[in-house]
Amino acid sequence: MKQDRTIRRMIRRETHSSRSVPSMVAASILLVTFLWLALESVLWLLKDQPLLAGPAQLREWLVGLPANTIPAGMTAAGVGVGTLGLLITGLAVGRGRRPRRALASDRSATVVDDDVIAAAISSQARLAADLAPGQVTTTVGGRSVRVQVRPTSGVPLDLASIKTALDGELAAYALDRPVTSNVRILNEGAVGQ
Amino acid sequence: MRRTNRAVNRILLAVLGIALMGSGAALIAAGTLPGAADTWAAVGSAVTDQARNLASSASGPGPLRSWWLAAGIAVLLLGAGLSAAWLASQGGGRTPRLAEQRDGAQGRTVIDVGLISAAVQEALNGNRSVVAASVSAWESRSGTALRLRMEARKGTSPRELADTAEQLIQGIDDWLGHPIPVLVRITSGVRSRTSDSRRAK
Repeated sequence: MKQDRTIRRMIRRETHSSRSVPSMVAASILLVTFLWLALESVLWLLKDQPLLAGPAQLREWLVGLPANTIPAGMTAAGVGVGTLGLLITGLAVGRGRRPRRALASDRSATVVDDDVIAAAISSQARLAADLAPGQVTTTVGGRSVRVQVRPTSGVPLDLASIKTALDGELAAYALDRPVTSNVRILNEGAVGQ
Repeated sequence: MRRTNRAVNRILLAVLGIALMGSGAALIAAGTLPGAADTWAAVGSAVTDQARNLASSASGPGPLRSWWLAAGIAVLLLGAGLSAAWLASQGGGRTPRLAEQRDGAQGRTVIDVGLISAAVQEALNGNRSVVAASVSAWESRSGTALRLRMEARKGTSPRELADTAEQLIQGIDDWLGHPIPVLVRITSGVRSRTSDSRRAK
């Protein structure tokens, strides 16, 4: 049971973003800002020249901001800051899912990139229908696998065999999140090989 | 992966985002609502007066006019320290040692990740479906865990690679004598990762 929990935890951590890049950016900006403000305050106490702007100048600028800026400028700045805040909140609250998923395994946590699955399904479908590379395109999304087939002109396409190959392949993976599969045959054919 | 505290990241980012949204809303209000600019100036001067009152009380020695100013600087430095701690908490936990066993007075046995890595490389040498493989270890909550990354040749079935990995892990288990948590990562190559990530021909 404990083994199970460990595996599930590893899968969860590997398939979801840790948000460490936005955190590092935010932490760096906060660190620099705090250090700068502290330094400016000390310089101001010692009656030394400020680096960029002393606390008194900063205060004056902040209090006089609405009076010294045109309203449209204030609104635009507000929209910019608000959008940034919305984006960061979205990052924090969102699911942060990465394009990868877990394969069933008894012993280990096995996590596969979505594009590896797409490439494997494409090559299986190609083998099943005897097509050339480039005639099958697979897209693996959140809950779906979409296969697009461009048949060879004048050669009948065996749709059933492609579907069987696709379902067999997906069943062998036993993905942790169920996916629906669909095959689409394009109207335009590829010129024969 | 690693030891990043993800809940802390989410909470701090959420707090930061909400603070930014709040200041954005204040800026928009000051730009659009007629009375808001006056309120802004009134609040600003009220806060300034408060600060001046505080700064003229509890006077300190030398150039320090008030202990309250020292407290303000201390708060700023504390903020800087907390930001540095947040920055330092990202990642970490990688270890070159996979397992360790003490044999009393006779000493101790340490197994390096390099040994497992060499063995895995050797075992995958003739395997056509694995382009590259790497092994690393990190301290997880349930002891030292092993991470085995395999780069799949384009079009190889991930099930086939997962079975290969299972055999490798079986061998590692036999070596070590006790099972350790293992994470198997099956990835695509660097070249296909830079293009559209989830489509394949």
